Amino acid sequence: MQETNRGHIHPISSLIREANQIFYAMGFTFADGPLLESEWYNFDALNVPKDHPARDMQDTFFIKDEPGCVLRTHTSPVQVRYMESQMKAGMPPPYRIIVPGKVFRNEATDITHEAEFFQIEGLAVGEDISLAHLKGTLAHFLKELFKGASVEIRFRPSFFPFTEPSVEVDMRVVGPHVPEKLRDTWIEMMGAGMVHPSVLKNAGVDPEKYQGFAFGMGLDRLAMLRWGIDDVRLMHSADLRFVNQF
Amino acid sequence: MKISRAWLQTFFDAPLPDAAAIGDALTFHAFEIESTENVAGDDILDVKVTPNRGHDALSHHAIAKELGAILGIPHKSDPLQAVISLEPKTDAVKVAIENPDLCRRFTVALIQGVHVGPSPDWLRERLESIGQRSINNVVDATNFVMFNIGQPLHAFDAGKLSSQNGHSLIVRKAKDKEKMLGLDDKEYILTGAMLAIADGHTNEVVSIAGIKGGKPTGIDETTSALILEAANWDGVLIRKTSQVLKLRTDASERFQQVISPELAAYGLHAAANLILELAGGEIVGFVDEYPMPQGKREVAVSTEKVNHVLGTELSVEDVGNAFTRLGLPHAQVGDHFTVTVPFERLDITIPEDLIEEVARVLGYDKIPTLDLPPFPNAPEVNANYYAAEQTREELMAKGYSEVYTSVFADTGERAVANKVDSVHPYLRSNLVDGLTQALRRNVHNKDLLGLTEVRLFEIGTVWTKKGEEMHAATVGEKEKPEEQIVKPEAGDTYNTLALSIAARYQSFSKYPFIVRDIALWVPKGSDPDAVLQIIRAAAGALLVRAELFDTFEKGDPSTGSGQVKLSLAFRLVFQSLEKTLTDIEANAAMENVYSEAKNQGWEVR
Repeated sequence: MQETNRGHIHPISSLIREANQIFYAMGFTFADGPLLESEWYNFDALNVPKDHPARDMQDTFFIKDEPGCVLRTHTSPVQVRYMESQMKAGMPPPYRIIVPGKVFRNEATDITHEAEFFQIEGLAVGEDISLAHLKGTLAHFLKELFKGASVEIRFRPSFFPFTEPSVEVDMRVVGPHVPEKLRDTWIEMMGAGMVHPSVLKNAGVDPEKYQGFAFGMGLDRLAMLRWGIDDVRLMHSADLRFVNQF
Repeated sequence: MKISRAWLQTFFDAPLPDAAAIGDALTFHAFEIESTENVAGDDILDVKVTPNRGHDALSHHAIAKELGAILGIPHKSDPLQAVISLEPKTDAVKVAIENPDLCRRFTVALIQGVHVGPSPDWLRERLESIGQRSINNVVDATNFVMFNIGQPLHAFDAGKLSSQNGHSLIVRKAKDKEKMLGLDDKEYILTGAMLAIADGHTNEVVSIAGIKGGKPTGIDETTSALILEAANWDGVLIRKTSQVLKLRTDASERFQQVISPELAAYGLHAAANLILELAGGEIVGFVDEYPMPQGKREVAVSTEKVNHVLGTELSVEDVGNAFTRLGLPHAQVGDHFTVTVPFERLDITIPEDLIEEVARVLGYDKIPTLDLPPFPNAPEVNANYYAAEQTREELMAKGYSEVYTSVFADTGERAVANKVDSVHPYLRSNLVDGLTQALRRNVHNKDLLGLTEVRLFEIGTVWTKKGEEMHAATVGEKEKPEEQIVKPEAGDTYNTLALSIAARYQSFSKYPFIVRDIALWVPKGSDPDAVLQIIRAAAGALLVRAELFDTFEKGDPSTGSGQVKLSLAFRLVFQSLEKTLTDIEANAAMENVYSEAKNQGWEVR
């Protein structure tokens, strides 16, 4: 009788729902793709060379008796899948998509690492989409997400095979109502950059005519910051002591 | 990679700023700094060089060059700009490369008359500052050059190599099970996939190419003539060999990133000169096997393109100055730049690489913040996500709470080939199995959660032989599990659905809890919430949950007048964040509750 009738939503589902609401209003389409992915979409099409250390056995889950098949290590393969399908349907850019979804890394788990976790990918491609638009888009998203606080972002140089230039994005949340752990501290949020011309080319998009930005952010980490969650393993614990707080 | 501030200073006349300022300059314009520590009056920065710059930036020279570009401090001189000649040639050492695809260059210097001994203080201090051990003046000289300009080197004791009208070195594939005793006193067993340097006369392996030299031909106090080697090796070969042998060295770390074969000459020249300075002797001559020299590379970009990609309004001068600061020689025609890429910068191949150079040296804080223009079309509604959201709402409305369980299972139709922890190697073929286990774990916490029944749902991916499907499943204590496919559903627009209203997550105790019930007679008309508040206050800090679970009224037989009184039953849950609670502690808390009830004039049933 004490029980509320309505069940609880998982914080990741709530976060995806919120991200979709914010990005939909900016013209972004929710796109998805398979979790069991080909090496082509997960690596080659994204300009990750055959002999890249990330393709070694340790980091990637390969599937038994199915060569060329991996559990996707990021949501980026959907960039190529989406653009390719649009081009095949005769729909050239502009494109704007987000790709929230599960990804996998073959590593030991601890309070900050999970073998399965959630990411959100963003991609905007057009004739004039620049790195300045990436800054504006992320600033807008994070401001909406941390309502009532002032959010600053900054870029640092980085490297990813599928973006050039590549940046690391830090966030700082300022305001009296911000949890102490977050307040006034620069926090590394995601990798991003301008889509590498080879990625556009691999998707059938003319890199001479079009350019755009992409970013990939860990949703588990975002949820942890947003709600002060102290152990990433809670996300997949299926423990109502956790879920029922949301 | 450890970088010494004092070492960096040797590249500049002007004094460098303090370690914090150096760290910031690198962080925002080049590379992340993992840590900075002060060791014996020097600052040691741990610089995390990005994988694209492993070609050229794993040295003090490279970091100094970056720093000079970022801070605008002129370099004394750039050792890699010098014109190097490996002269005179000698035929006292013969070099043959059997696999030129894996060894693009092999250079040696034959030096005789050296006196091997301890290194001077300055050299020992340099090496020790970055965590290296000083060995002797010859070996230290080769290591110094590697950490200074990035070219790994190796010195063989010529007297310990065989000689028949001179020495002979062959670069060849190792044979399966071929053995070599390394300088680290470990025996390495090679495979046919590895590359070795062998004594051409005896065919004995004297070095594992690019990774580790052999003990029998190593430098020691008896050495008087030596063969100094600076070569270039295939990155993938070195990485794979290093993995198989479980042997990572400072040399293998550099070669596996692929470095320019041009660098070998600079490394050999610098190391040979340093050895003469420290150990005396004279250079007999050089050998340079370089079958396919690296070509000259040019990459072009326009100022317009730079601004278009970055969203900036840089002038032609801004772009030209950025290239100049970075030491990128360029020719300018109008707003077009053609950069002649320095040999060591193997990372620069397309115009976007140059755009990144401009952006990072000027600083990403110079990139403006721009809103995206309005999108010409309405976004599509994703039929899979739309259907999942509809299902999620329906199940929550029915009282199910959402969980995510692992996709890895003990049974299934497809399996992972290489799971690190090797437990649960299958990909789940249903959700119900995982949910049923989750249900079992949650049932124990029902009282703590204040639930009369645990009901869970999950929406997630499962795998069958045929492929990948999205399922939704429910489990509950009093019902049969159900599972079905979530079929895509077209929608015109997403419904605006409620978000979690949680503000902050509170960590929960990992320790067991204790449940106590209490039933009280209170006067009719008493407010159960007010009673509960008094109980909560009396129960103290260990009370984590208290709820009314039963209530009824009856006439009070003691008055005989049919006066009605109220029975309230509460369930109290006690738990500590720090330890497993004992009955004694729960009892003490209950005593406080009983005594407060008495004070209030309530009767404990």
